[in-house]
Amino acid sequence: MKSKLFKIIGVLALLAVGYGAYMWFMPHQNVQGTKAFKTIDATALVNEFLTDKDKANNIYLDTEGESKVLIITGTIADISEDQLNQKVVLLKNTSDKMGVSCTFTVDTNAQVDKLNVGDAIKIKGVIRSGAEYDEDLDLTENVIVEKSALIE
Amino acid sequence: MKNLVLIVAIALISFTVFSQNKLSTTSGHIKFFSSTPAENIEANNYKVTSILKPTEGTLVFSVPMQSFEFEKALMQKHYNSKKFLDTKQFPKGKFKGTITNLSAIDFTTDGTYEATVSGTLTIHGVAKEITEKFNLTVKGGAVTGKTEFDITLADYGVVFTKGKPSENIAKTIKIIANLNYSK
Repeated sequence: MKSKLFKIIGVLALLAVGYGAYMWFMPHQNVQGTKAFKTIDATALVNEFLTDKDKANNIYLDTEGESKVLIITGTIADISEDQLNQKVVLLKNTSDKMGVSCTFTVDTNAQVDKLNVGDAIKIKGVIRSGAEYDEDLDLTENVIVEKSALIE
Repeated sequence: MKNLVLIVAIALISFTVFSQNKLSTTSGHIKFFSSTPAENIEANNYKVTSILKPTEGTLVFSVPMQSFEFEKALMQKHYNSKKFLDTKQFPKGKFKGTITNLSAIDFTTDGTYEATVSGTLTIHGVAKEITEKFNLTVKGGAVTGKTEFDITLADYGVVFTKGKPSENIAKTIKIIANLNYSK
């Protein structure tokens, strides 16, 4: 009876340690390995946020930060680099005030080398925040997408 | 003669910067740092939008809260959750302020200037008036800004009274920002 009890306690302890280890070493969201929620044009995505910010936030943002993975289509308006030396591709049509800013990673940076302003492309990445125009602050904000990679 | 051309060129670049109605960046870096006996926690965000208006002294920041990256995925999930910053409900942190000692900053001359900025910081849907130092460097027509200050989480409605977060997350955290502005 006693040994059975010890066995049960031992198994429970192992499960607890295993769960703790899993939580501690839990991997970050695998953006490129996740099936895209949808394919959407950059202008359409921007307009969803400008039309109804709360509704769009509700659709695309996740309560624990693992927000929707999207494939965005559009025309390159600008190519730059952030302070972490990650390439940043802005998808924006010439008639739009705002676009979708897609940040690549150390692993996908090289894909940007062959791109040029004016190219029509598809990018897969995770959305972090929506487009916004704040008249009071004179602030124009693009949709922010990170962990990006080019879809051929 | 060469020196004269150089001086005129520098003066023109400086004048151009000063006469810009608006300097901006969409790739500012903000880091926060929490230190407790249990552990140190750091998160980085390279997607900060900021506007600086040299003639008016207006300074604006917008921070996409889900762009903070942590070393551990679990920490990142906790940070975004409803119990902490609730980033789905409050996806952006914002600051709007004014340089109160604008006359002490010469955007036309290379140098480092200590600006005092007062304004409203809104995090987690809670707005609070703050006054902090903002170091501006003008060099060859470019403007960079750096600041470092502490915020108390309870001031913004982020409170832990029990459990692991109350031991592992500092009550006051350090914010460090680096901005490279362009026209």
